Amino acid sequence: MNPLKVDRIVKQYGEKTAVNGISFEVGEGEIYGLLGANGAGKTTTMRMVLGLIYPDEGQILYHGKAYSSDQLKNLGYLPEERGLYPKVRVSDQLIYLAQLRGMSKRDADASLKRWLERFEVPEYYNKKVEELSKGNQQKIQFIASVINAPKIIILDEAFSGLDPVNVELLKSTVKELRDSGTSILFSTHRMEHVEELCRNITILHRSNVVLKGNIKEIKKQFPKERIILSTESEVLGLERISGVTNVIRHEYGYELGIANEAAGGDILRHAIEQSAITRFEIKEPTLNEIFIKTVGGDSHE
Amino acid sequence: MNSFWTVVGFTVKNKLRGKAFLITTIIIALIMSIGINLPYIFSQFGGGDKVTNIGYIQSKQAELAQGSATGDQLKAFFEAQENPGLMLVPFEDKGSAGANEQQLKKAIADKQIKGYLEFGEMSVSGFPEMTYKSEKLMEFEMTSSLQGALQMIRQSTILQNAGLTEEQLALLNAPIDIDTVQISAAEGAGSLGDGKSPEEQAVNMGLIYFIIILLFMAVMISGQMIASEITAEKSSRVMEILITSVSPLKQMFGKIFGMFVVVVLQIAIYVVVIIGNISMPHNNMALGNLNIDLSNIDPALLAYAVLFFLTGFFLFATLFAAVGSLVSRTEDLGQAVMPITILSLAGFYISIFSISTPDSTLVKVTSFIPFFSPFVMMLRLGLTDPPVWQVITSIGILLVTIYVAVWISAKIYRTGVLMYGKRPSWKELRKAMKAYKV
Repeated sequence: MNPLKVDRIVKQYGEKTAVNGISFEVGEGEIYGLLGANGAGKTTTMRMVLGLIYPDEGQILYHGKAYSSDQLKNLGYLPEERGLYPKVRVSDQLIYLAQLRGMSKRDADASLKRWLERFEVPEYYNKKVEELSKGNQQKIQFIASVINAPKIIILDEAFSGLDPVNVELLKSTVKELRDSGTSILFSTHRMEHVEELCRNITILHRSNVVLKGNIKEIKKQFPKERIILSTESEVLGLERISGVTNVIRHEYGYELGIANEAAGGDILRHAIEQSAITRFEIKEPTLNEIFIKTVGGDSHE
Repeated sequence: MNSFWTVVGFTVKNKLRGKAFLITTIIIALIMSIGINLPYIFSQFGGGDKVTNIGYIQSKQAELAQGSATGDQLKAFFEAQENPGLMLVPFEDKGSAGANEQQLKKAIADKQIKGYLEFGEMSVSGFPEMTYKSEKLMEFEMTSSLQGALQMIRQSTILQNAGLTEEQLALLNAPIDIDTVQISAAEGAGSLGDGKSPEEQAVNMGLIYFIIILLFMAVMISGQMIASEITAEKSSRVMEILITSVSPLKQMFGKIFGMFVVVVLQIAIYVVVIIGNISMPHNNMALGNLNIDLSNIDPALLAYAVLFFLTGFFLFATLFAAVGSLVSRTEDLGQAVMPITILSLAGFYISIFSISTPDSTLVKVTSFIPFFSPFVMMLRLGLTDPPVWQVITSIGILLVTIYVAVWISAKIYRTGVLMYGKRPSWKELRKAMKAYKV
């Protein structure tokens, strides 16, 4: 039985349908990607999962059970808009939040210290939040959502506003949580993070599911249209090969658009006659491209 | 229930730790101490045994003899008194009016006297015409005490001339007292119908003033704090985590109750400061002089005061919380809480301005209207003896209103905390409530 099962939930705000029949399941030790342009219904879906608002139709099951206030203990939430008490000390407010989720004060304190160690910032224990930099506030915010070791964590834009070092730090933490069996519902606009972390995704567009399933399966549905070619010397006449739609010159070599995968062989043969090849790759479509194709095409309407 | 106390504890701890709380408490306690000690401080600086000296010319000349005699009489009169505020100082006649004036003015400059009396022609009053000259403006107090003295002098002269005995004189001058006892014709609630003596009335009036001001301050200060804390939680988005951790109802009442604890604590500090100051020996005497005996406070009145304080506080606090949950930015809060502020201000002013007419129709009617009744019924209880059924009805209405206010506030809060952007209209709020199924 999956820790989180969302079953055909519908939510309407007056005339407007915010979420129209979304279903997905998050397994134990899985990071599930919930993607969509702004206003697609991600936040509403997450709020329903958190039990803040109730779906008009459909149901959400937690370990097979319907929502009740007991579930709050098992949920962790990192909201997109960060929020902590600016004038309260880190230790005070995180222990408070952990206590609200049913932890004892001592356990909360120990857990907080462990997490601060983990993020290499034990000196923040007695600092006020307003004294910390934005990136460090983010770390504290992250700790706030995981301090009570929840079974289900909802991360809304977890890595925004962080420098690359800290993104890696948090990313590895998220992976650890996944490996320890936590179910994570993950939302972001950074597709490379999704590709790295998520097994399954749902792409929402205007309250509807437009794409859903395993990332690898999804990618197979989309043709491979890009070739990366690096050579030691210049290669001429690439654009005259049939099936090549465009050629872009980069510092590292060439990026070619192709109409079908068969053109790849022709390109390789053509290039090998002229120069030694250091890199040749028929690229899978990136999630970014897939996302823009499915969602971006008419998002300006 | 457990997380309710966690919220209470967090609220109290943060408020007590804040510098603002410490500073305001100390400042108000200081102002109170100074206020209580003010009469004593003033008495140390002057007043009491300070005597104003007034000069006059003692002359043997025929045309000035009448004036000199009046001056001597006044001098004797004030000297005979226990605590004279005035003292007449005779000066020798220098012969001419100009020289006399010169001499008296010099005495003023030398601070020997404050001013002097000039005598003129005899008038029908039996005394010569008099002019009091001094450097100060508006010396009405001075002239009126001189007038009083002269009247006494004249009266006793005439009476003595009429041949009255000492006893008769004493009888004439004996003061006449009328005692007032406030009673209630029907069975009253205030002090259980046995009436209030003037001392009790005075103490009650002081107590009522104190309680009404205290309630008003508690409502305004803590109400604003509750509303602004909720708005701050909303604008800093802590709210999103909070409402996923604890039910909104527990959160709201935890906050209100926590603030209540803070306010009670603050009041307790003030009461200790006041009692400490009053029981200092020098102030104790001052109170005794004013005939104020704190043991005259009716315990029933105190019980009612606590009851109305509690109900008033929680009624306004829930409303402030509801309004706070609707506003997303602290800047908009002042405007949003205006209606509630005006409501509590109205109750406060009705009772303060009716303190001399506690039985007016306005007071009687408003003592049943929930938002005013904590202030106004308190006034009636303290200064009149309203029938028991009226008091019970008023409390009943108040409790029902609190129940309704809590119910509505909880709904508004539940919805409001999730709504960002501009302050929602009633229509939007109702729609959102429906959508959120609260």
